[in-house]
Amino acid sequence: MTTLVNPLDERAEASGVPAPRLERLEGSTLALLDISKPGGSHFLDRMAELLVSRYGVARIVRETKPTYTKPAPPALVGKLGFVDGVIEALAD
Amino acid sequence: MLSPGDLAPSPTLRSLAGERHALGVDDGPRLIAFVEVDCPTCRLTLPYLNRLAGLLGERCERLVLVSQDGPEETRALVARYELAVPVLLDEALEASRAFDPPSVPALFLVGADGRIGSAHVGFHKADLNATAGALLASLGLSATPVADAHDGAPESKPGCASRHLSIATATGGAASPEPLDLRPERGARASRIEVSDSEDAYEYCIRAGFSGFLPVVPPTVDRVEAFVAAAGLAPERVIGLVPPCYGAATVEKIAANAVMAGCGPEHMEVLIPIVRAACDERFNLHGVQATTNSATPLVILSGPAAARLGFVSGAGVFGNVARANSTVGRALQLIMANLGGARPGEIDMATLAHPGRFSYCIAENHAASPWEPLHVDLGFAPDESTVTLFAAAAPMEVSEHTARKAEGVLRTIAATLSVVFSWRRCGRVDAVVVVCPEHAATIAADGFSKRDARDFLFENTGVPLRAFEHEGTEGTQSRDGLTEVLIDGERHYRKFADPYQIQLVVAGGTAGKFSAVIGGWLAGPKGSESVTYPIRKEMR
Repeated sequence: MTTLVNPLDERAEASGVPAPRLERLEGSTLALLDISKPGGSHFLDRMAELLVSRYGVARIVRETKPTYTKPAPPALVGKLGFVDGVIEALAD
Repeated sequence: MLSPGDLAPSPTLRSLAGERHALGVDDGPRLIAFVEVDCPTCRLTLPYLNRLAGLLGERCERLVLVSQDGPEETRALVARYELAVPVLLDEALEASRAFDPPSVPALFLVGADGRIGSAHVGFHKADLNATAGALLASLGLSATPVADAHDGAPESKPGCASRHLSIATATGGAASPEPLDLRPERGARASRIEVSDSEDAYEYCIRAGFSGFLPVVPPTVDRVEAFVAAAGLAPERVIGLVPPCYGAATVEKIAANAVMAGCGPEHMEVLIPIVRAACDERFNLHGVQATTNSATPLVILSGPAAARLGFVSGAGVFGNVARANSTVGRALQLIMANLGGARPGEIDMATLAHPGRFSYCIAENHAASPWEPLHVDLGFAPDESTVTLFAAAAPMEVSEHTARKAEGVLRTIAATLSVVFSWRRCGRVDAVVVVCPEHAATIAADGFSKRDARDFLFENTGVPLRAFEHEGTEGTQSRDGLTEVLIDGERHYRKFADPYQIQLVVAGGTAGKFSAVIGGWLAGPKGSESVTYPIRKEMR
């Protein structure tokens, strides 16, 4: 018998429950979160147009992460607490 | 918030034992620290206040912690941090309203005259040292710093809104159930794994995913204990939380990974500061580990400890040249995967990666360098030793066997520097130039100091404006903030925003005129900043 010291992070893997799915987009408020990669805004501009014209989204809120290399600051996440859903977009 | 010179109020608060105490000063100066139990920045500050309490010794009642939460949560906090200072409860927030800090932690130093001497909010090492020093000095004690610049904690961090300004508190809100510890001092002991005699421990480690796909030395209890003993630290002591999954790098876990990588016990001395540096927020290992870019930490040792611990700085420095170089670099990679949780194709999304992901660790060749060493360049004393981590691409070799003058060598290096990260990317880029001894001698013989050489590279590295005529290619989206200069009579944008984005290190063999340019990831506070930690006994 050989006894080894476990070299791994032994915490139980964090498990999260996804937020409930939106039943309808019509009349909703959605946030489009740009991670600030170059080109992301082009994609999000078009997304915003389509969400309003094709799916009847009532309001689009636009926010941008200060840098795509780090998680969104808690203050930014907090600012989006009131919306029905967030679409975070990465583009190059 | 009360300011220096204001008279400090003296509300009466209950202690955890239920006794009533006046907060005010009766017989001498006092440091009053307001905290919330679930504020991560307050929890970051507490070990430093505990250190101050130790320095105060019998006078530790001169430091008073005022909790903005109830007795139960506060008692748990006191137990968790083994706080050895008087604690008063400000559940009704009477004292908080009277001192009125916008955020916590809030430190009010009150003089013997009952007036505020200094007032600070948030976590700032400089403020902590100044406040603690003033209190100690006013009591006739030695003003020993409580916060080491290189202990792995950030220089500063904003706090949380004081509860007396929070609507939730006014309606009975309180501490959140699982407060975040940004820098826990102790972690769980590692579990033991029994491998039966019918199974090869060596094969088990590979199957269990410990190894990064190369053979490892099985981390047996005896081996790991010898490494922990060599570190001279408690096995459960946390050196850092390793991004992106923030597993705790306890001394025991670092030891287990160091054993697997093939290190010797003596290498724990250098692995402790390496892990601290890797977990330093400025380095942003979170981004480095998760990016699609190939970057990985390059470890550069500078100072006398490198040779003492067996690191080679001469011929073949990037290769399989010494046990120390090969295994210490590998140990960091194993720690990053096994404790940081970044495994290729999962959280580690590198498109290509590069061979430095097996091990990327060099030492500076002081004997063959005409210049001051890297650590002296960075402000450390010559007899100190340091580890520097740089988020690095693979080395690009620069051959220059013809130039006999400094400028010739440097211009050839500058041409390679001009393409780091991507040809047209300028400004937010950085690089390490590993100057081989022969090139360093040629450059120095023309009277160039290390700073002169770096300035020359800064001035002469650019991307021609004509390159930006290729619309729709990387780097052409925005030219905001770029500086236009003339290089060899042609209009260029400067490649680097600052000369210090180019670091010069002398390393490699004394024969051959091959230097190397190593591009960085995304430079600066919005990407990864190179960090340097001393290899010091007192910081262990």
